[in-house]
Amino acid sequence: MPSTDHSAAPPALAMHGLIKDFGGVRALDGAEFEVGPGEIHGLVGQNGAGKSTLIKVLAGIYRPDEGRIAIDGQPVTDLTPHQVDQLGIQFIHQDRLLVPSFTVGEAVFLGREHTAAGLLARRRMEREARALITEQFGVELPKGALISELTTAQQQLVQIVRALAQKPRILVFDEPTAALVKREVDRLFAIIERLRGQGITIVYISHYLQEIERLCDRVTVLRNGRHVGTVSPAATPAREIARMMVARDLGELFPKRQVAPGAPALAVRNLARRPHLQEVSFTLRRGEILGVTGLLGSGVKELVRLLFGLDRPDAGQIEFGGQVATLGNPAAAVARGMALVPEDRRGQGVALDASVRDNTTLASLDRFVRGGLVRRAEEDGETRRLIEELRIRTPGPDTAVRDLSGGNQQKVVIAKWLARRSEVYLLDEPTVGVDIAAKVEIYRLIGELVERGAAVLLVSSDLDELAGIADRILVLYRGAVVRELPAENASSDALLAWSTGAMEAA
Amino acid sequence: MAQATLPTAQHRRRLPDLVFQMGLPLALLLVVLFFAWSSPAFLVPSNLESVLVNNFTLLAIVSIAMTLAVASGGIDLSVGTALDFASLLFVSLIAAGQPFGIALLAGLLGGLAAGLFNAFLIVALGITPFLATLGTLFIGRSVQQLTTGGGIPIYLSKAKVPEAATFLAHGDILGIATPLWVVASLIILFTVLLRATPFGRRVTAIGVQPAVAWYSGLPVRRDLVLVYLLSALVAAVAGLMLSATVNAYVPSSGNAFLLNAIGATFIGTTLDRRGRPNVPGTVLGVLLLAVVANGLLLIGWNFYWQQVGTGVLIFLVLVASFASRRWRKAA
Amino acid sequence: MSTVIEQAGGERADLRRLGALALRAGSLLAFVAVLVFFSATAPFFLSFFNFTNVIAQSAILAILAFGMTVVIIGGGGNVVTGGIDLSVAANLGLCAAVYAALIQAGQGDATAILTTMATGLAVGAANAFAVVAVGILPLLATLAVMNVAAGLELVLTENTVLSASTPFLMAINNVGPFGVPNLAWILLVVAVVLILLVQFTPVGLRLQAVGEHREAARAAGLPVARYVAATYLVSGLFAALGAILSVAYLSGSSTGSAELLLGVVVTALLGVVFSRRLVPTIGGTLLAALFIGFLGNGFQLLNISSYWVSGVQGALILLVVAATSVLRRKES
Repeated sequence: MPSTDHSAAPPALAMHGLIKDFGGVRALDGAEFEVGPGEIHGLVGQNGAGKSTLIKVLAGIYRPDEGRIAIDGQPVTDLTPHQVDQLGIQFIHQDRLLVPSFTVGEAVFLGREHTAAGLLARRRMEREARALITEQFGVELPKGALISELTTAQQQLVQIVRALAQKPRILVFDEPTAALVKREVDRLFAIIERLRGQGITIVYISHYLQEIERLCDRVTVLRNGRHVGTVSPAATPAREIARMMVARDLGELFPKRQVAPGAPALAVRNLARRPHLQEVSFTLRRGEILGVTGLLGSGVKELVRLLFGLDRPDAGQIEFGGQVATLGNPAAAVARGMALVPEDRRGQGVALDASVRDNTTLASLDRFVRGGLVRRAEEDGETRRLIEELRIRTPGPDTAVRDLSGGNQQKVVIAKWLARRSEVYLLDEPTVGVDIAAKVEIYRLIGELVERGAAVLLVSSDLDELAGIADRILVLYRGAVVRELPAENASSDALLAWSTGAMEAA
Repeated sequence: MAQATLPTAQHRRRLPDLVFQMGLPLALLLVVLFFAWSSPAFLVPSNLESVLVNNFTLLAIVSIAMTLAVASGGIDLSVGTALDFASLLFVSLIAAGQPFGIALLAGLLGGLAAGLFNAFLIVALGITPFLATLGTLFIGRSVQQLTTGGGIPIYLSKAKVPEAATFLAHGDILGIATPLWVVASLIILFTVLLRATPFGRRVTAIGVQPAVAWYSGLPVRRDLVLVYLLSALVAAVAGLMLSATVNAYVPSSGNAFLLNAIGATFIGTTLDRRGRPNVPGTVLGVLLLAVVANGLLLIGWNFYWQQVGTGVLIFLVLVASFASRRWRKAA
Repeated sequence: MSTVIEQAGGERADLRRLGALALRAGSLLAFVAVLVFFSATAPFFLSFFNFTNVIAQSAILAILAFGMTVVIIGGGGNVVTGGIDLSVAANLGLCAAVYAALIQAGQGDATAILTTMATGLAVGAANAFAVVAVGILPLLATLAVMNVAAGLELVLTENTVLSASTPFLMAINNVGPFGVPNLAWILLVVAVVLILLVQFTPVGLRLQAVGEHREAARAAGLPVARYVAATYLVSGLFAALGAILSVAYLSGSSTGSAELLLGVVVTALLGVVFSRRLVPTIGGTLLAALFIGFLGNGFQLLNISSYWVSGVQGALILLVVAATSVLRRKES
């Protein structure tokens, strides 16, 4: 990665000595962040390290208690979102933040609409927005499409164009690849590099150290609200960066265990659901982690939904312990011992406004019933036991799950199924949006699950993760299993090649 | 955000939390004290009993029905309809010479019919509860108008009123009016149901985040059907009590309770730590409304100013509770 | 660099679009079908006089519903947690009482109009305060305000009808240019202005953004709180406007606003089906108000008992909502 000489020009962004308190919590403790002009600068840190607070301070949403901020060498004080906008800093948020029923033109120009005699010039805005997108990304969006009709990746393009329409000097990308598949990620990277070529400074926040490695000139690591170091990813291995993030050696990123696969827990025969799932068959054994991956539209999501009773198959069967099962709804699946850790953790995995205890016992209330009533004390006991066993970092079982970090929230989801004593776990992108230390813990947890005899189906688009954890991996392509590999033979390159259809089916 | 120092922060928040959770009981206490001071006729046992029996009982029962629906994440605008259907069938059958027991059963079934319709709309058709029960409300109104030829009440002559009905409405057990026994039983029953039974816990979970309940394998559909059936059933009980009290069926009398029931239910959420609908809170809300109505009457307020007074009070209690919640969140 | 032509988000998008189109087309078809049916079966239905009369009679309901629609647009779709203004009918009653009382006390129309508008705005301000400043759920806040407004109205009128009649009021209730009643003209003008404002100006677009995706609106730098507060003020203002029309129409104040409120809610909700993107719009609300007006009128002319009206309205809501929710289910 070409590294630019920053010594001549002032830094595009310089934030020094930032302190920010929230009640009793110190989110930023003298944080430093300096970005050179025209570089792609990564920002990493665990959840709670202060990344999002720092960015919100930059966005003018929070006012720092102390500290100095300078943009292009000019000091600025009392930033408001409006000012930040004027100063040429734009943000590509993690959540799309586009109005679903708007057209592309309306979404791009909201707040800066083109008018003719006071009325909206809709056609002009639409034309201009589409032209911008084609010019910048070489992509032509479907005509007249509403935001709600676009894919996540397409929506992101609209987001980026909206930001670009303001002619920004600095673009901040916040976890942009969370919902993207590899092809879209590559496209995004090409776009970012082209933007850098146009002279825009890029700040890139991500949990994916591989991406930081690929993309960034330099990366700043935050920990506990402080600046730990700014290094060049080319010279620093991911493991070292991870160590800087957590101040200890994480050891093996993917803890290995030896478990002999047992009896079949789940068997799928010729399962199909139009239009994406054509035909899939496999067997999942106890004690085994079966990885499943595939591009958007390859049928992976449909498979998960079928296995959990969210949809009904057009053809094929699902068998539990040799018996065919009809899963009309999730309750039926759960009754058979299935557990789902959904991709949408905050919307489907945990009830954010409920306590850790209420979430943990949600699927197993009947266990705690004596005399027709649910016994609080027993619920509490079991919750505490699970908190300890899973090392969930929370002040107590009464804490609202909303107050936990992403990784801990995910552990609560797993705790819910452990309390239910589920036997087959469907994990759908379980480590998305989870920081590196929590990821390792979750991998450890998954390992423990199978050691205890559960069967795990792990859906992931993180190919390194799959290669590192799974025993076997199924690659789906256009609705069918195009390849099944044992983990030893799986490299992320091979997996990628198979999932994009670049290799012939064996 | 990592909560390394959270315990301290949470600790600091607990005291104000408690104070504002006590807002409703405090308001009630203040109101009672105020009226006791303003009018000698207020704190008299016969007046208090009258308040409870006349202003409190029916509204409390309807509000319990509403609380159940709201706790499940929906709302039941047709509680008045269930009340009226029950009343209609009960009085009609008595007038036709049927025994008390049969008429009672018919009344409950009548109310249940409204609930079944709601359940069908909401669970089978997936219509949002506000609109579904609004539709039931509209249709229920038409049904009543059609069956009574335009809203003509059905009166029971003194001779026809069964003893059991008179006992239900005007009798007493151990010195306490029967209606109060009915209300008290329902209050205890539903407090326990919502708070401590698995069904109640599931309903609360559905109300807090329905998607998570579904994805956790809870029998959401079945539970929602039960919720709306129960809600209608409880409202039907109110209808029966009303008819037993006035010995008549007056069409669309149920709707008078609707708005106050909603108000009481939501005021009642202030009692709960997480702001969730709960039966004790609702009951206190109804009590507040009843006491204010009675008190204003006793201190000689014009009937029309009473409504203003009650309205302003509800407004203030809501402002206090929501403002405090916001204040706490910002802290 | 080669251009890649992108597909939309899969078949779901196409299905939903088709569904929305079908629903809108179907609703319009239903509207037309109803008109045709009544023209064929009801005497005097298809007369200029009757048509314009219905439009005039729908004016008050429609104008109230416009205010409600603005609140719903700015507050988001969910009826329980989103924007709604239950106080519009009681507000109208109060404003009408204020107007009539002032006329009876010998004040002129100008004073009465100004005071009435101020009253409507005051009620709207109370709503705005409760919802935006305090953060009370709109359903609750407007319910509480409604109670107070209804109470104040009763205080003013003592549950009687206050009659009021001035040349100005009579003019409103009269027939205007081209033999079309002035009420209908007023409705037309108000509708056109509002449609322009809401659907075709930046302010309107931003309001839709505020209602539909608050976070996105904030990220775009829009003053969300101000927009939401404004919607309640608008709603209050429209209640006042409706009140003046109502006093003209009834030659005085009226009692009992519960019926009116339900009608306004039905109208605003029904309006969604008549819009292209299945979101609340002024045009859709206008069509809904007219639909309900013609339905009631047809029933009357056919001598169908008015007892059926409520039930039919209820069935309508349910049909519409069932259809839209089936569509929404397909996408989730």
